[in-house]
Parts: sequence; structure tokens; C-alpha cells
Amino acid sequence: MSILVDESTRVICQGITGRQGTFHCERALASGTQIVGGVRQGKGGTSHLGVPVFDTVAEAIEVTQASASVIFVPPANAAEAIIEAADAGIALVVCVTERIPVLDMVRVRAHLKESNTVLVGPNSPGLAVPGVGTLGIMPQGIFLPGAIGIVSRSSTLTYEAVDQTTRNGLGQSACIGIGADPVGGISVSQCLQLFMDDDQTQGVALIGEVGGRAEENAAEFLSTLSSVKPVVAYIAGQTVPEGRRMGHAGTIVHYGLGTARTKIKALQDAGVRVVSSPVEIGSAMAESLGR
Amino acid sequence: MREQGIPVLEGIVATSEQRALDAARELGEGPWVIKAQIHAGGRAEGHVGGSEDLRGIEFSNTVLGVGQTAARMLGNSLVTPQTTRQGETINAVYIEPEIRSELQIFLAILIDGERGEPVCLASVKGGSQVERDIFDDPNSLVRAPLGATNQIALSVGHEVASQLGLSSSSIGAFAELVQQLHGLFVARDLSLIEINPLAIRSNGSLVALDARVTVDDNALYRQPAMGALASRGDQSGAEERAAKNGFNFIPLDGNVGTLSSGAGLAMATLDAITHLGGRPANFLDVPPVLEVSRVKEAFLLVLSDPGIKSLIVNVFGAGIMRCDTIADGLLLAHLEQPVSIPLVMRLAGTNAPLALSRLERSGLDIQFAPNLAAGAQMVIDAADSPPAPRHTYSIAGRLAQWITRAKEGPRS
Repeated sequence: MSILVDESTRVICQGITGRQGTFHCERALASGTQIVGGVRQGKGGTSHLGVPVFDTVAEAIEVTQASASVIFVPPANAAEAIIEAADAGIALVVCVTERIPVLDMVRVRAHLKESNTVLVGPNSPGLAVPGVGTLGIMPQGIFLPGAIGIVSRSSTLTYEAVDQTTRNGLGQSACIGIGADPVGGISVSQCLQLFMDDDQTQGVALIGEVGGRAEENAAEFLSTLSSVKPVVAYIAGQTVPEGRRMGHAGTIVHYGLGTARTKIKALQDAGVRVVSSPVEIGSAMAESLGR
Repeated sequence: MREQGIPVLEGIVATSEQRALDAARELGEGPWVIKAQIHAGGRAEGHVGGSEDLRGIEFSNTVLGVGQTAARMLGNSLVTPQTTRQGETINAVYIEPEIRSELQIFLAILIDGERGEPVCLASVKGGSQVERDIFDDPNSLVRAPLGATNQIALSVGHEVASQLGLSSSSIGAFAELVQQLHGLFVARDLSLIEINPLAIRSNGSLVALDARVTVDDNALYRQPAMGALASRGDQSGAEERAAKNGFNFIPLDGNVGTLSSGAGLAMATLDAITHLGGRPANFLDVPPVLEVSRVKEAFLLVLSDPGIKSLIVNVFGAGIMRCDTIADGLLLAHLEQPVSIPLVMRLAGTNAPLALSRLERSGLDIQFAPNLAAGAQMVIDAADSPPAPRHTYSIAGRLAQWITRAKEGPRS
């Protein structure tokens, strides 16, 4: 059993011919990810990186039986790309594109309510299942197949958590970067559910950040479960002055909600071990598992 | 907002004492409000020029008083809970008539990330203390989800108004206002529109006394008019430089400089330093770039702060951000302006070994940190210890050679 993708998952890339798409698909292919085709309107019938390119997602599915897509198209067209993939019946969409207007994502969210497509992102480093492959931009060579599920709102901190759990030998069952945008697809709580249901996962590392209510909701979700695997959390931005904007809209602290204080309290009340420094994620995880 | 027919208070911007006096006369009968114009909130709680008795928002009953207050504000800096300790310089004041209203409302539309749609927030506890009041009493906040539509029904505003307990004389105007604000929100790609306070006069008419609008940066490409509005003339030199280069930069008060890639990692770097008792001098998130020249700019920016005693670079190479780009950027910056403070580099991920080998030969005072924990401690210790003797030999020529060779050489 594995998280969202397994050895049989066939993946296409929307925007495969662009600079970013090319760079990351090349590396993903080299590391064994099953990328079976690409989509770029106007380049249908050609091939790129040794895989066929199609004009539309529907055509790509027909020929390749793909069920997952990773999206690298520019921000102005990204919302349409997600909707196209969902309408064509893609089960898993990973959207790497950043800087998509938030009202476009409002439209996408409303559209996805009527479909079964799971969206990871946007503004996401993607998804990695060590031993199976990477969908997105996560660096190769830092993963170790193992026991820890990682869910993160921050791209670069995801790698930090991966690095620490690889170095101490725990390894990862899967690593999901849900993206830092205010309106996105899969939530922290939904990722926790996947990890709780997964046999390989023994513990979960949750990397949150100030702003929004994702961590509070995750805490609420955890307290409804009868048995919970150990969860270690770190909330980035504990020392950020309130009311100041650090990088992206997802980290605005609004109206006293979504501060590091409220998040840490909620998670601790739900039995989560919250570390105060990012350097302690790996060691706290090992301790929680008695290793 | 005026273009949309939203009732706003007429006021006049003044940049001198004389203009302030003229403005007060032009606006007619007093009393008047004098508001310091800066790009930060909390003005009513802030102090001008360190004085105890002059706030960022003041009132006057006489024309002469308006002039005097304006003169004391202009050219001085205003420190509020949302500015740095140095505050922001007041280059203009805004003069408007003081409205005596029955009720002060807080009204905002913003994106509710969890629900994935805009939400209308309103409270009868409007005014400068609204955030504290709402935090203390979350039930005083009325929430109405607005959906993914381009135009909301008037009934949405009616519902909010009745939940606020507004009198029947103002409900109609309030509902219309909510609809207009939502129209503006969608048409102009806003991520926040906030009126605080919205005054309700005794006859039921509404007037917006203060408003704040945040444009979704990601939509500026299709909102050119909003881009012009958003440009800030009064940022500090460093902040302006950062904005020009697309860096996320916030100056802070400490002595440990930081440079990271990725907002999360940048925040984590600050957290790790603060956790060990250090004091970060800035937040700097360099977005993933291919160009060495942009990375060079980032180094020059952070090194331009005379208050920093050491600098930590924390980068996890991934995607298009490669560690060797960071190393080359540092070496180029050093050519332009020799680096004399101790550096701590924590480089991991894509091309980290290549970057380390280039930096090792540079002759710069660099400690390499195996992980963030060690790096945070090293950079704090370096900031606290007396400065090392400066390198007196020129390495510029050798550096230039290495960079050229590196550019021609293979990329692993």
C-alpha cells in the first residue's frame, strides 16, 4: 500500500516542454518515476524526453492510460490546466505552478467539488514516495524508503524534514508538500488521514507555518481519532513579528487567528509533540517512536 | 472606492503646514482629524518622533491646531506596533472632517483559505482596537461565506446587517455596500478589502472613515492600474531594492544577518537563531533563480546593513535553485564589495558539494555547517566574538578566474 501513487501509477506532465517541466521530468524519469507522456497544446504528435506529447489531457489519457498529472504551466493558464485534467478524469493532479491568482483558485476549488480528483498544490514542491517516484520538484537523492509520513506547507522545510529523517535512518513512507497558497487542494487533515490509514507509515511529521487555520483544523481532526500514530509538528514563524508579511499570502497573520501560539496550543491539546526549533524534527520523531 | 459609488469621507493630503491649514479651511467646519500617512497600521497607538503626547492620528477643534499638529508630524518618524523600532518617516498627512457617529462598524472581505472562497467579516466593535476586541470575543464577529460568484445577492448583506443588529434605516445601504465591496474585490483581484471604521450616522447613512485594500500580487499582470497604486515611494532603500529584485525582505533589529531560499526555510532560520538566544537582523527569502546576478544582489542587500556582525546562508538546493548559484553569487558580491564579517554556510541539496569546493578556495572567512542546528549556533557565536582581522590580500583576480572557469565547466 502506498500514498496517492504506487508502482503502477502512470504519470503525464502538463507543460512538459517548458524549461521547468523539462528539467524536473528529466530528473524524475532518471530516478524511475513512470512518466508516460506530456501535454502541450500545439505540440501534439511530437515527442520530448523520449515520451509522446499530446495536445490535450484527454488524448494523453486515451493513449497512455495515465491517472496522474503534474502541472508546470505558467500561472495565467494553470487554473485552466487543473480544470482540464479534472474534467478528463485524472485522479491525482500535482500543481507545481506558483503565483496563480487566488480568485482563479477559488474557481478551481468550486469546480473540484463536483469531481473526485485529488489536487496537491498549487505552489507545491509536489509529492514523493521513496522507491516509487517523485511528482514535482523535490530534489532526488535525499529520500530513504521508510516509516515517516511528512506533510508540509513549506517547500524548503519539507526537504529539511526529509534530510533529518534520512540521516537518522527512519526514512519516509511519503512526503507531501501541500503548497503555501491560501487556497489549495488537499489539506493537512486529509494528508494525516492518508498516513493514519497507511500500513507503512509509523509516525507523521507535520510542518506548518503561521497564518491560516490548517494546523488548528488538523488538531481538531486528530482529536476525533480513537488511535493515533505519533505526530511531531514544527510551526515555522514562531519568532515572526505579528502583522508582518513573510513571503506569501499564506503567512499573513490576520485578526489574532492563526498565530504560532494558537496553532501550538491546539496541536499540543490534541497530543501532538510540537518542537520549538526546526532542527529537532528528526530527533523528536525518533524519540516518539522509541528509537 | 469612490468610483464604485462607495461612500467615503472627503479629505485632503497635505505635505506642509501651510497646505494643512488650507485643507482644514477648505473642508469647512471642524473639528478635524489629522492622520499621518505611512504604510503601516496601528497609527492611533503609535508615537511620533518619540513623543508621548503625539499619536499618528490626532484631533483638532481649530484650524490653527490642524496646522500645528501637521507641522509636528511632517518629517518626523512614526513608530507603531507594526513598524520597526525606527518607524516610518511621515511625508504627508491626511486632513478630514471628524465624524461623530452613532456606531462604528468593522467590515472586511478577504479570502478564507480553508473554505476556498471569499468571506465577509463584520463586527460592531469597529475602530483601532478591533483586532484585540475580536480576539477577546470571537463571537462578536459575523462571518458570511460569499462563494465563487462574480456578484453576490443583496440578501447576503441583509443577513450580515441583521446579525450585527443594525437599525432598519441602515440595513438597505449596508447590504448595497457589501455587494459593491464584493464587486470591487472580484473585479480588481483583491485579497483584502477592509473598512474600519464604517460610521453610521444618526440618520442611518454610511460613511467609510478608513479603508485598506490589498491587491493579490499574483494577479498584478492583469490589474495594471492596481500595480501603480501598490507601488510604495516610502520604503526604506533596502526594502525598495529587495522589492525590485523580487526578494521577500524584512529588516529586523538584531545583529545576525540571514539569507535563505524559500519563505518556510527563511522563517525556520529565524526561529532556530532566536531559539538559541540570537537576534536576527533580517528576514530574507531569495526566490529560486537561475541568475547569479540576482543572488549577488541578495548578498549585497543583506550585507549593506551596518548592524550585522555575522551572516548565515541557509539554502536547500532544489528545483531551479542550485547551491553553486548561491556560491557564485556570494563570490561576485565579494568582488564588488569585500565581505569582512564571518559567514556561516549551510548548503544542502542540489550541487552542494560543488558549491562547497568553490567556497573553500575563496579565502573568505567561512564556516561550513553540517545542519541548521550547528549553523545557528555558529553564526550566533560569530556575531558575539570580536571581529577577525580583515583579509588584506587581494583575491579578486583569482575569484574572477574561478567563476569564469566554473561557467564554462560541466554542471553536475
